[in-house]
Amino acid sequence: MKKILVLLIILTSTFVFADVKVVATTTIIHDLVKNIGKDKVDVDYICRGNQDPHFVEVMPSYMLKLRNADIVFKIGLDLEKWLPQLIDGSRNTNLEVIDLSKDIEKLEVPTTKMDARYGDVHPYGNPHYYLDPIDVKIMAKEIFDALATQDPENTAYYKKNYEAYLKKLNTKIEEWNRKMTKVKGEPIVFFHSSWIYFANQYGIKIAGYVEPKPGIPPTPSHNADVINLIKKGGIKLIVMENYYSDSAPNQIAGITGAKVIKVPVGIYGMDGIDSYFQMMDYIIDQIVNNS
Amino acid sequence: MRNYIYGLFIFILFSTTSISQSNVNPDISLIGTFNTTYDLTKNSPEKGKINFNVPEMELFVDGYLNPYARATGNIAYEDGEFSVEELYANIVRGLPLDAQIKLGKYLVGFGQLNIVHPHAWAFVGRPLFHQIYFGPEGFNDIGFNFSFILPTTSFYSNLDLGIFKGDAIGKNEVTTPDDQESIADHRGRSPIFVGRLGTFFQVGDYGNLGIGVDGSYGIHAKSDLNITGNSNFTPVNENLYYTYLGLDFKYKYKPDDYTSLTIQGEGILNNRDVVRNGRFGVDIPMQNKERISTYGAFLYLDYLFKKMYSFGAKYDYTNGILDDIPGISTRSNDDKNNTQGLTAWFGYYPIEHTLAFRFNVQHLIYHYANGPHRAPSTLFTLQMIFSLGPHKAHPF
Repeated sequence: MKKILVLLIILTSTFVFADVKVVATTTIIHDLVKNIGKDKVDVDYICRGNQDPHFVEVMPSYMLKLRNADIVFKIGLDLEKWLPQLIDGSRNTNLEVIDLSKDIEKLEVPTTKMDARYGDVHPYGNPHYYLDPIDVKIMAKEIFDALATQDPENTAYYKKNYEAYLKKLNTKIEEWNRKMTKVKGEPIVFFHSSWIYFANQYGIKIAGYVEPKPGIPPTPSHNADVINLIKKGGIKLIVMENYYSDSAPNQIAGITGAKVIKVPVGIYGMDGIDSYFQMMDYIIDQIVNNS
Repeated sequence: MRNYIYGLFIFILFSTTSISQSNVNPDISLIGTFNTTYDLTKNSPEKGKINFNVPEMELFVDGYLNPYARATGNIAYEDGEFSVEELYANIVRGLPLDAQIKLGKYLVGFGQLNIVHPHAWAFVGRPLFHQIYFGPEGFNDIGFNFSFILPTTSFYSNLDLGIFKGDAIGKNEVTTPDDQESIADHRGRSPIFVGRLGTFFQVGDYGNLGIGVDGSYGIHAKSDLNITGNSNFTPVNENLYYTYLGLDFKYKYKPDDYTSLTIQGEGILNNRDVVRNGRFGVDIPMQNKERISTYGAFLYLDYLFKKMYSFGAKYDYTNGILDDIPGISTRSNDDKNNTQGLTAWFGYYPIEHTLAFRFNVQHLIYHYANGPHRAPSTLFTLQMIFSLGPHKAHPF
């Protein structure tokens, strides 16, 4: 009996201590950690794939997730303004906070003093770099480094997974580049200013936004401006994140004949979107097929 | 004079931050509230008048003191006066058992609504039982609170234990009708104890439920009682104890970023010693100490749609008559009479977290067991709130 108990304790402790416990603020980070950490990492996320990451309610259940975690990965650049409250509430003194934006080349960094008149502008730069797959390679490297530091015994394991993921990602990047050449230079109206990294990568022209300023809901006068813009520019597409209301884009589309494309910008943000590859496939196919 | 000092403080604060913005500066936020009311109460001198109330202001200063502690100050301007509404430090990490300690003056965690600043409520006006049992500013007190997360893994549980001065309990409520000196107010000399056990569950993918039990115990006043009716008898000095027991819940269903349904309710049982005037024989006045139990509760529902509109309704019940002058048998010492309230509102939030408009109507009904009849009152309020700065969202 004693032997069985000892064996049980050893077995349980092995299982408990083998895992690095990770919380990802978004589902895209969750997907990357899952692919690099595989069964050596126990990973959870906070913001759902169909939820606006700017506004996440501070829930005690999220504090509980962070309480048991070794690492929390965040997008950074002030996207997760809700995270400090969750970290304080978790009371986890050993929690490692990894900002994945560290080595990203930031875009739209304000050069003058910003205030609320410009909308919800991020003072350290636009945080939506995860829509550029090249930047996702940098995120993956950051995640690999953090896991290897946290759990050095399994560095080789993480490296193997990281390299395998990178190989797949590079293949997909080539495929996406090929597809997107068809729409290079195409002007598109977007809903929110999440697309600058994506547009830069694929040479898309951002003709305008449905939001008058970042984070500010559409207004009738701005809708009228967007309608004029679409008519004058012969713009065919309005691309929007699927967690925003499509009421204003549909209204604009009804008048101009442009097509509204609602896409997920998070994993699990739509049925059948279970990985970053599937999410980008969907976004790119929608844009290419409707242009 | 005090107003000038506060004014100077605010000026220095703003001028300093505008000159030297840096990462070490605390967050500073300004919340402004404008209420315009229209009273429809029968026989009220205010009936038919539109009152443009003096604007209210809250100035929050909040930030980390060091890696382990935060500090918050909240200076309020209400009814033409500045006051320190909150001023506290919170040690958030580094303590044994992962405890947190909050010390200073702040809104005490009794129930879920009390700790939320009124500008973040869905409706206008403090629930009736808060006003009767905690006072017009809610349960706001000076003291220490120790907070522990319980080792529950599948849901979140939190235990709070606090010791406070007791200013919010029975504020100015116990005075003798005959002799102001006969009842000594011992609030502050006899600290009170407050405890709360809160639990939080995720209900499905989009629902969240928080429930809690609360308790508070202490001396709310001290009295020299003549319990014999004999004028030569030395009065007995008695402590008057109170016990509050509370239950609360909040359920929020939020299927997307544009829609949410919130149902929240809280109740309190007030069990306390009170002084009652009596007679020995036919005409010898005497005082008795009695134990009474009274109750209060509210329940509301708020529905948010299209992210910027909300409507809701609230029902309030409390023992005690809301506008009574505090006394030995009024407000929280009143087990005979009660006030009920029906409230409905419509909210408009054009830009999230920065601007809010509310139209609120509250109808109050006063029930007297004996004696005077009082006409119900109806008050319409149009409220505008702005929020300037990074004042953090309140937790669920």
